[in-house]
Amino acid sequence: MDIKEHFTKVIKANEGLIYKITTLYTDEKQDRKDLYQEIVYQLWKSFGSFQEQSKLSTWMYRVALNTAIFHLKQSKKRPDTIPFELEMDRLTDESDKAEEDRIKLLYKQIQQLNLLEKGIILLFLEGKSHEEIAEIVGMSISNVGTKISRIKEKLKSQIKKNTDYGT
Amino acid sequence: MELEEMKLAWNDLSKRVEKQEILNQQMIEKMTKDQFQSNLKKIALPEYIGTIICYLGAAYLSVNVPKLEEPLIQFFGVISIALLLILPIISLQSIRGMRKINLSSHSYLETIQIFGQQKIRFLKLQKLNISLGLFLLVIGVPVLLALQGKSLNPTPLFWMLYFPLGVMFFLGFSYWVLKYYNRKLQATEKLLTEVNE
Repeated sequence: MDIKEHFTKVIKANEGLIYKITTLYTDEKQDRKDLYQEIVYQLWKSFGSFQEQSKLSTWMYRVALNTAIFHLKQSKKRPDTIPFELEMDRLTDESDKAEEDRIKLLYKQIQQLNLLEKGIILLFLEGKSHEEIAEIVGMSISNVGTKISRIKEKLKSQIKKNTDYGT
Repeated sequence: MELEEMKLAWNDLSKRVEKQEILNQQMIEKMTKDQFQSNLKKIALPEYIGTIICYLGAAYLSVNVPKLEEPLIQFFGVISIALLLILPIISLQSIRGMRKINLSSHSYLETIQIFGQQKIRFLKLQKLNISLGLFLLVIGVPVLLALQGKSLNPTPLFWMLYFPLGVMFFLGFSYWVLKYYNRKLQATEKLLTEVNE
């Protein structure tokens, strides 16, 4: 299998992962599409040098999250987007209103976190172990544990604030 | 919503997302082509165009300023040339570092730190650039008028009305722009502090 074919397979197998990252780091559909193709491009650029020194998923998360950080700065400078549709802009069936609300609330909570917390919580929600999170983020395992506890507290107070404001 | 509830909602989302097909093979191939203009590569284009315009302006003034007679306007002309040469350098300097980043070799935390430091540097340079740009606007106008053969002396309104108004606008606009950049600077510094805690 040649390198391009291998890369295409890797991307096809991880489309959902890239999509979830793009939705967390952007607010608008066009930005999301720009970031999506930027991530694919950056992954391709480093695919040759990735020689399975780390796990494939670790490398993918690292490049995708790092690209998302730098995309924040450039989001107003739009390249010519390759036409494709992010069909999951409606995340749930229209009938499943409660589910849609739950996902919207989830996004709202995560959007309020800072960049580091956002990355850590994304990896936590993706089911990554503390060891894997530590490797991707670049901090010690004990620090990851501390950060996750702090994020839990922060989320609690965010929800309390929102509830108090809402009532 | 507790963290565990969030995890359940995230799992539901993941199941839905994984069922969808976003890209086909042709689209992936297009995105990997070298001709594809990466967002990060496009950053510098407006700055390069700006540089050419500034240097053309500097060349025009260099040829014409020696022809001016009034020493003060000549002095303004020399300052304008210097600013037209310096401003693009500041602008290009502020984006240069960003292009060196290798997105696969740094951890997420390191990338945030690099991003934050670069953003602070960028914002500071932008503040300097805008202040100098506005200053150029003020001293460049009399030079351009003089080059067109128009004198400022026959219009007493200029010194009594237009000039004070111009200075007020200059100070007000600078205050507003610098306040905006200071706010952004504070937010970035706060992010870096939080990240390093």
